[in-house]
Amino acid sequence: MQPRNEGSDLAPLRRPSRANRGLVRAGALTLVGALTLTGATVSIASASTTQKTSGPTLKSLETQLTSLEKPPSTSAALQETGSSLFYPLVSAWASAYSKAHGNVPVTTASTGSGTGQADALNGTVAIGASDAYLPPSDPSNLLNIPEDVSAQQIDYNVSGVSASHVHLKLSAAILNSIYTGKITHWNDPALKKLNPTVSLPNEQIVVLHRSDSSGDSFLFTSYLSYQDSSSFPMSAGGPTTSPSWPSIPNTLAEKGNQGMEAGCVATPGCIAYIGVSYLREAVKNGLAYAQLLNGKGNYVLPTAINIANEVASFQKIPANGAISLVDSKSAKNGYPIVNFEYAIVNANQSNPATAQAIKAFLAWGMDPRNGSASSYLSPVYFQALAPNAMAVAVNLLKKIQ
Amino acid sequence: MSEEPAVPPEGDRLPAEPDHSAGSQMANTMTREPSWRPRRRVVAERVLGVGSGVAALVPLAGLVAAVAVLLVEALPAIRYNGWHFITGSGFNPGNLYGKPVHTGGVLHFAGASYGAFPLIIGTIESAAIAVVVACPIAIGAAVLIVEKLPGRIANVVGFCLEVLAGIPSVVFGLWGVLTFGPWLSHNIYPALAHLPNFPPFSIFRGNTGYGQGLLSAGLVLAVMIIPIVAATTRDLLRQVPAATKEGAEALGMTDAEVFQTVQLRWVRTGVIGAIVLGLGRALGETIAVALVSGSILQTSSNIYGNMTTIAATIVSQLDAANTDTTGLEVKTLAEAALVLFLITVLVNIGARLLVRRSARGAALPVGAGF
Repeated sequence: MQPRNEGSDLAPLRRPSRANRGLVRAGALTLVGALTLTGATVSIASASTTQKTSGPTLKSLETQLTSLEKPPSTSAALQETGSSLFYPLVSAWASAYSKAHGNVPVTTASTGSGTGQADALNGTVAIGASDAYLPPSDPSNLLNIPEDVSAQQIDYNVSGVSASHVHLKLSAAILNSIYTGKITHWNDPALKKLNPTVSLPNEQIVVLHRSDSSGDSFLFTSYLSYQDSSSFPMSAGGPTTSPSWPSIPNTLAEKGNQGMEAGCVATPGCIAYIGVSYLREAVKNGLAYAQLLNGKGNYVLPTAINIANEVASFQKIPANGAISLVDSKSAKNGYPIVNFEYAIVNANQSNPATAQAIKAFLAWGMDPRNGSASSYLSPVYFQALAPNAMAVAVNLLKKIQ
Repeated sequence: MSEEPAVPPEGDRLPAEPDHSAGSQMANTMTREPSWRPRRRVVAERVLGVGSGVAALVPLAGLVAAVAVLLVEALPAIRYNGWHFITGSGFNPGNLYGKPVHTGGVLHFAGASYGAFPLIIGTIESAAIAVVVACPIAIGAAVLIVEKLPGRIANVVGFCLEVLAGIPSVVFGLWGVLTFGPWLSHNIYPALAHLPNFPPFSIFRGNTGYGQGLLSAGLVLAVMIIPIVAATTRDLLRQVPAATKEGAEALGMTDAEVFQTVQLRWVRTGVIGAIVLGLGRALGETIAVALVSGSILQTSSNIYGNMTTIAATIVSQLDAANTDTTGLEVKTLAEAALVLFLITVLVNIGARLLVRRSARGAALPVGAGF
């Protein structure tokens, strides 16, 4: 039907491989928010670690953030729309920030990353939130500013499995078979072979996907595309925020991560890709989440350490911030579906007070002493940017005029 | 004040000495007032003439402008997509992260490919289900209200119909996706799937799904168009002259025979009009279908399968389309809108032909008037 995407097209997206153990450790240790297997939070102090990279230190970045965080003297209201994965955090930021800075009221809306990107492109909002970075062909005055590190888990509601919090092993190839209708029951031989110790029921699999244009769909199809070159999104041109889902009998379309979570809870046999900010809620409501096959052939859980490992394997963050952190081929224990949460902002603001307010709010948000303190990040299992990414983000923030 | 009235005032009560004070001028005007009336009337006539002419042009201009804008917007997409748009399937903007390329003067990303066949089929299928289900119910309800129910209850039922007609479609969609769809899939669809395996029941065979899909969308649409058809049919039935009905009854006809030979013939053309109105609503309904259809850009695998329609796709894909910087996807959505417009026009033309034929074939001359 259409030409297959050549591997070389995607090459710029992928990070060069080469693991650096020291950096992996340093990256992991600088994390503030943390996610553990059981859902409890662990905070790891960063002060005692020595940074071995030549880049800016956390200290110098914090100094720069402090100056960026200076709010405008006149009032400037900010609107944010977009990612439902980012929404729980941004809405917490918005209420705290608006309370502290009366002249910069921030309103937020969970609309899906596609709408966030579109609204930022059209200039209808000051900040568009997205789990997916903008294509490089988009107008150069639009900035992708990394704010935090996020992840996505694969949730399921399987009788006798989810209730006891069993972490099934899944891979991109298996997920592709499920989403294309080749695997229809939870006791399929392929699933049993991967999970020999789990007693899988003869239960129909109900496949959930997003109905809105979604960054989570982008992350999910990135994972399928990068790990399994014969997967359905890859044969349709690669990762996208609104994939052409195969026509299979047992599927449901849901709007937003909220819809995915509620839909999966209500549907026995379901499988759903859900942003990590809904992990706590999902587990509370009886869903379990999978160990995913990573780029090094290991099955890993979305723990704080594993997410940090994945991020740290991408040593060089491009100056425009646009990079896929999915399926690293060099992180031994990296969790494969990890991403930067982006604030998409027009660099040329018509109003200087608005420009300053955007800079101040976004700097405050990524600052590990403010919006990216563990008190904000741990409830949603996000992580603060490592110094290399924060340096890029700070430079991008400075471009807002 | 500088103008002289066309007709001189009847009684000139102007003072001999002109007084330029304001109060006096006011009095002046008051006295001259009657003489202004004919002029005002002329102006009013002209305003009415020109105004109604402009008002009559607005719908025409609106239609022409909408089609022209859609056509101009869609032209590059029409050139790029070709017939594949009608016959093919899949909405794929291509590799957004690659470099845009030119094909035949149209900028697009490598691998961009758009086919609206499943959307067109989904639009027609869901609207057809809605009409097939809604019409017997709506016409039956109208007959019941007019003929059988006592006045007060008929008024209550009629009021309910009007309220149903006024419910915003997003409410229907939400109800469909949260309550009606799951209820159908648990209680109705499994029974339907066990109907005998020969036509027409064999279409109900297959995996019954989870409440989102073609049949659920069709049934939600049916509920939405029932009040449209029922209210119109009720009003039409009320206009059937009692004398004609009584005449038929005097000839010894049963209720069913009277309905078939008198009332149905009398209202037939009008009811067809009402059904077309309902069909138009079903074809263009957006948000309710977007919620209930299960949103996949494919033809449904069976009558319960997930699907989408043109209108639902436009609303669900627009945000994603905006991120296609070559603009081809937005243009393709404009092309889809054009196709929907074309379907609506064809349905209207078909309905007119049907009305003309049924009016010609009417046994009772009174029925031809509609």
